[in-house]
Amino acid sequence: MRILIVEDDPKLAEFVARGLRAERFAVDLAGDGAQGLRYIESYEYDLVILDLMLPQLSGSEVLRRLRGSHPTLPVLVLTARDATEDKVAHFEAGADDYLTKPFDFAELVVRIKALLRRTPAPRTDVLRIGDLEVNRLTQHVRRGGQRVELTAKEYGVLEYLLSSPGRVFSRTMILEHVWDQSFEGVTNIVDVYVRYLRRKLDDPFPTKLIHTVRGVGYCLREPEPRRQVEPP
Amino acid sequence: MNHRSLAFRLAVWYALLLSATFSLVAMGMYFGLAQYLRSSLSDSLRRRSVQVEEILRGAPVAIADAAIATAINTRVAPEFNNRFVRITRLPATVVYRSGRPADRSFDPAAIARLAGPWPARSASRRVATSDGPVMISATPIATRSGRYLVELGTSIEPMDSVLHRLLGLLGMLLPVLVACAAGGGYLLVKRALRPVEHMSQTAAQISVQNLDERLPVMQTGDALQQLSLSLNHMLGRLRDSVQASRRFLADASHELRTPLTVIKGELQEIVRDEECPAELRERIGSTLEEVARLERLVSGLLVLSRLDAGDAQREWVDVDLGELASSTVEQMRLVADDRGVQLDAVGLRALTVRGDRSRLKQVIVNLLDNAIKFTPRGGTVSLRTELRPGCALLEVRDTGIGIPPAALPHVFERFFRADEARTRDGDAADGGAGLGLSIVRSICTAHGAEIDVESTPGRGSCFRLKFPRPASLHSAPAPSLHAVPGSAPADSAPGRGAAGESREALAANAISRGEN
Repeated sequence: MRILIVEDDPKLAEFVARGLRAERFAVDLAGDGAQGLRYIESYEYDLVILDLMLPQLSGSEVLRRLRGSHPTLPVLVLTARDATEDKVAHFEAGADDYLTKPFDFAELVVRIKALLRRTPAPRTDVLRIGDLEVNRLTQHVRRGGQRVELTAKEYGVLEYLLSSPGRVFSRTMILEHVWDQSFEGVTNIVDVYVRYLRRKLDDPFPTKLIHTVRGVGYCLREPEPRRQVEPP
Repeated sequence: MNHRSLAFRLAVWYALLLSATFSLVAMGMYFGLAQYLRSSLSDSLRRRSVQVEEILRGAPVAIADAAIATAINTRVAPEFNNRFVRITRLPATVVYRSGRPADRSFDPAAIARLAGPWPARSASRRVATSDGPVMISATPIATRSGRYLVELGTSIEPMDSVLHRLLGLLGMLLPVLVACAAGGGYLLVKRALRPVEHMSQTAAQISVQNLDERLPVMQTGDALQQLSLSLNHMLGRLRDSVQASRRFLADASHELRTPLTVIKGELQEIVRDEECPAELRERIGSTLEEVARLERLVSGLLVLSRLDAGDAQREWVDVDLGELASSTVEQMRLVADDRGVQLDAVGLRALTVRGDRSRLKQVIVNLLDNAIKFTPRGGTVSLRTELRPGCALLEVRDTGIGIPPAALPHVFERFFRADEARTRDGDAADGGAGLGLSIVRSICTAHGAEIDVESTPGRGSCFRLKFPRPASLHSAPAPSLHAVPGSAPADSAPGRGAAGESREALAANAISRGEN
């Protein structure tokens, strides 16, 4: 899978490119809109990440032009402006998705994978990790065969964490998926719910599944069988 | 009438000035006339005395006093002319004295002789008699037959009465004139100032929200037109600078977002690295928490700058405030439980207002979050909505630490934190950006809602929001809602806010939804 990043901020571009390469994507960088368009005309890309505020040729203009020649190329727009009318305008102009800076890299990867999948992922009704089992149809949660009762929001947080085991989800990502933006920047609501979730899901069991990565967020993963010993 | 108004003061000054001028003119008139009358009277007396003098000079040396009397009676006829004539020969022989005048204006016998030495030249004096004042002009005359003092007189009663009446007339005119001047002056000034009043009313309605409005320009061609033009220019410059500062705020917030993304991404990558030492990971994690705070700050500033630009009205629909409040309370309940604070929804019932649903929700979330944060364990936070005449009331009351009176007027200011609050807030690692309440106020302003806060330090605070209700919404829920006591704790047991709505309120809810 080959991705083109059209971004004028070299550090941001470099950081995104490095992260995506680590996710096993082939990544090209273009520093301005004109160069971006040249790359798109010359090579085959599976996805374009397009910053809107570009020198010379603005991101909106690049989007308009590339839609003429590549109507189906997935484009994910990055922008610092998150007013709703901007969003609507760029969806109308042909952006497939939209991410507002400052974004979490994990969120970017989730969005990219969703765009590349094209067809909806085969939805498994029962998700498993370790001895945890979540039935998405009945919303029943079992751990070690034992039924765990969760409230709607607790279930929402759990299912979201379980959608990509091992990935660290930021508080903002969880908040936006399970609640709405009204709660943003105000409250530690995510921490409170994760604590309640842990109390029900992890505390009664010796192995912990929910992990906190300080400053980043939460992730759901099995404890690694062979724990790396830190070098002295 | 406002005693300090410009019109009033101008009218008073005008009246004072006019009455002073009038008094001066009246005084001049009075004394001038008095002087004129007196001098013309004494002139006529002197002319008569010349006649008498001629009689005395023309007479032979040894003329009999009787002959003098006859001559005077014939030629001067003092009684008939209402004059007094007395001729005295040196040293003190009265040669002639006229009789009682025809109009009986004085008694000649009562007029005293001139005391002291005779004057060298003709002189006038005023003699008071029981019948009234008399003016006497005395002229010394030397003839061959001896030296005489000729005294001619007349009553000055008529002259005095003219002056008296003039004084009365002037005294009567003065208050009338002053009243007219004051009243007319007031009306005139008021009329002249009406455009100013109009301008000031318009100006009072111009705030940061509607700096595009302009004052009406008076086409008067005078200083007022100039003033309105200057004020409009000033408004233009004000708008430009407000826009510039808003643009700066928005641009600065936007510009901060790219570097924030890079900082956050790079640091997160280090933290996720398995080989990263635990201690470093802790320190970077702590830095990342600060980055998250910076992010919230930037996003809060953007929300505020968008609200300032009149952005809240994008989605303008009917919102059931009661339903929104109860669902938000449910979402916040766990946060309150976690802090050991009881969260009550009191009397929540259908209450339709017009507005932006997500913004209104943000208001409720921010107020509840604020109240929970500053209420110690074991305290209570309660939210109520209520229909008031012409408005919908939303109230968030807590039994928290309260706000010191000195800080109360500033709680809605950006970045403001009361000192006590800050120390209390020490354990909240998420550290609010200090923008929550200013966002609440900006959203309220955009919805035309009033917001006020009461607080007693140590006992708690109460934030009260009054949303205007359009006239079309008034009629629907009113009768059934008034039947329900406003303060009834409508089954506010935790976890049952929405279910706790009374049957009437739900019915009213249905009605108001149906109507809209």
